[in-house]
Amino acid sequence: MIGSLAQEVGIPRAVAEADRSRAFEAAVREHQAMVFSVAYHFLQDHAVAEELAQEVFLELYRHWDELESREHRIHWLRKVASRRCIDQTRRRKLRNHVSLEEAPEPFTWMPATDPILKRYIEQLLGKLADTPRLVVIMRYQEGLEPAEIADILDMPVATVKSHLQRSLALLRRKLSFATREGES
Amino acid sequence: MTDFEDQLRRALERKEPSADFAARVMARATQKKRPLAWVQWQSWAAAGIAASLCLGALGLEVEHRHTVELRQGQAARAQLIQAMEITSKKLHQIHKRVQGTL
Repeated sequence: MIGSLAQEVGIPRAVAEADRSRAFEAAVREHQAMVFSVAYHFLQDHAVAEELAQEVFLELYRHWDELESREHRIHWLRKVASRRCIDQTRRRKLRNHVSLEEAPEPFTWMPATDPILKRYIEQLLGKLADTPRLVVIMRYQEGLEPAEIADILDMPVATVKSHLQRSLALLRRKLSFATREGES
Repeated sequence: MTDFEDQLRRALERKEPSADFAARVMARATQKKRPLAWVQWQSWAAAGIAASLCLGALGLEVEHRHTVELRQGQAARAQLIQAMEITSKKLHQIHKRVQGTL
């Protein structure tokens, strides 16, 4: 598309390619935290998350000309990152097979502002099943509404709401145990 | 939003990847790729060379077998001729002896 447009208006192809690369690099810098964080919060492995995020951006580079606006690119990146996260766990079996219901309670009380508590929440999140975990990440990392999450993950809005309610109830129960002891 | 949801949101704040992340993506995205036609040409050339080598090896093997068979045939022929010469001499000697006694 860029090549043909460049030929039509008489711009050398190399210049058009350089513009394309610059625009792509700007997009990578703008969205790298979003894509990497989705992968990191889902996989909980820095190196694997970076590799997955790189693959997502390389796919974006291949489809660059098809994505016309910034909003379209963001939506596309969230969708592709989510799909690749699911594929990654299926392929490499990275997930911890202990479910959240079976996860042990913390043995010490943790203040709500403590970074350890933050890490504990991440760990609890890692024990959710794949789809509910992605739903929670999209809701609380990306701040998306259930209808937007449903669109990205290709599922009914009711299913998204159901995953959210159930996951929040589980997480709240585990977390309240961790903080209740300190309050008493 | 409840306190619990606030905690969740803080735990899931966006994180930055490594400092050289964008540079690594750019390096991979813009690395020169050989055109498909060149790759296909290379594949066909490699297949052609492999086929030529196989045919050459097969030809050499056939030639070698032919040479060996020829040598064996010549040796057998020479042995047969030698045997016939010896037989002929012996028959000649016997024929002389028989004529001498008569």
